[in-house]
Amino acid sequence: MIPNRRDVLKALAGAPLLVALQRPAAATTVNGVVFGVETFSFHDLPPAGDPQLIPTIVKNLQTLGIAECEIMSGHIEPFASVMTGWWVQSRRAPDFARLREEARQWRLTVPMTYYRDIRRRFEDAGLRIHLYNVNFNETFTDAERDRTFEAARELGAEGFSSSTVLSEARRLVPFVQKHKMFVAMHNHNNLADPDQFATPASFETALAMSPLFYVTLDIGHFTAGNNDAIAFIGQHHDRIINIHVRDRKRNNGPNRPFGQGDTPIAEVLRLIRDNRYSIRCYLEYEYGSFRPSLDEVRTCFDYCRRVLVS
Amino acid sequence: MKGVRWYVLLAATAAMLTIGLRLDARQERDAGGFKAPTVALERGRAVYVLNHCHFCHGVDLTSATMGAANLSQSPLVGADEDGNMIGPLVKAGLPNLQTAMPSYVELTSAEIVDLARYIHFLRQQARFKELSHLGNAPAGDRTAGEAYFTANCRSCHSVTGNLAGIGRKYDAATLRGRLLRPGPPMPSEGVGATPGQSAHLRLLETYTSANVQDLVAYLGAVR
Repeated sequence: MIPNRRDVLKALAGAPLLVALQRPAAATTVNGVVFGVETFSFHDLPPAGDPQLIPTIVKNLQTLGIAECEIMSGHIEPFASVMTGWWVQSRRAPDFARLREEARQWRLTVPMTYYRDIRRRFEDAGLRIHLYNVNFNETFTDAERDRTFEAARELGAEGFSSSTVLSEARRLVPFVQKHKMFVAMHNHNNLADPDQFATPASFETALAMSPLFYVTLDIGHFTAGNNDAIAFIGQHHDRIINIHVRDRKRNNGPNRPFGQGDTPIAEVLRLIRDNRYSIRCYLEYEYGSFRPSLDEVRTCFDYCRRVLVS
Repeated sequence: MKGVRWYVLLAATAAMLTIGLRLDARQERDAGGFKAPTVALERGRAVYVLNHCHFCHGVDLTSATMGAANLSQSPLVGADEDGNMIGPLVKAGLPNLQTAMPSYVELTSAEIVDLARYIHFLRQQARFKELSHLGNAPAGDRTAGEAYFTANCRSCHSVTGNLAGIGRKYDAATLRGRLLRPGPPMPSEGVGATPGQSAHLRLLETYTSANVQDLVAYLGAVR
């Protein structure tokens, strides 16, 4: 029987509900390369715990037309990052133990609906949190590590990106196995500390610990440490979840606007495009400017788009 | 009556616009904080912001993050003169920190001087704010204040000469404000600080709160 117009209209009436129930957010791609934003890039957000913080991130992503992000724990948790123990020197403050315990108790007792609500805000806007950026460190208790993995799942994240250290990575091995969720190690360029992620060897040591350890390769910091990002990606592309796209000068040089540093951004993006690597490219704005950060992130994205269509 | 009201409305609108424009000029700010009050300081602000120093050390030095040093308290900055200490550190960077401070090898000597002068300006503003609100701090020690005065102030001041009776003239809060910064609150274009004002600004960068309270206790007793 051929449906009449009334039947078609009745059938379509349920379509908006079906769309809403589906997982939204098709990836933002340029010539097949997936883009996202590290929310660190939004330097002028409201402070931790402000009710406008998440809506501002959502609005920024919508304005940019970028569907996914790696979201910092400092944008999810309502306390300053100095309370999380990642900054080693912050642990020397006289009231650190008390503040650290406050942060711990919040993590252990906050209902999971808190994270689900944040996820819903993103998904309602057609966006998604792809990675949860948590800097695991030795001040975490095992209960806290467990709870953080649960939080990531409730946020809808596929896994973590973490500016952690090798000694903490060893402690995380049973947790990635238990929760079946990956941790991607993020690098800086401290070449003097063997516990830091800064060289190809440091990444390779972690990758050997667990099949659920991956890499978030910050190509700018990698270049500032005088490493070869193109060679590393070529060798380890199947263990790289995402790159952080920034431009730094070699020899611990400063961050610069895209195209003005030594980081081979164009070559890396084209490498990913031409080889169809499943490596996501997350913009990370961190050079100096008098303009609002949203304007600069857009400029960074425009640079990447121009590179990929040429 | 209607005509009078019309002129009053016009005058009020003109006054509001003038006040609004003045407020806008004074409070003009961007992602790098408030605009600096002179051309030279604005050059320094450009070096500070475009090299992203403000992100870690704060737009006004009072909100250092990412493990960065608090430049309003840093002994190195306190000992610096026109970039002779700040320059080498900025050029070398601090590569072995948890997250490295970059090495700014490309900065010119002129940029280093502009940068240093801007940092000192911000430090003076921050320290004045910090030290001028010591009203509830413990009272200072008059003997320690006299010792500080002898070591640092006697070359220009005398409690029997140009500061005679100063304790009668000013209450503690006013005395504190005047010894911290006897000149205007902000530099002005084309108006240099006097040698005395410059000396006070140098001391402003290195006083401890105890120094200030001690000086107030000592000078407050000069009748």
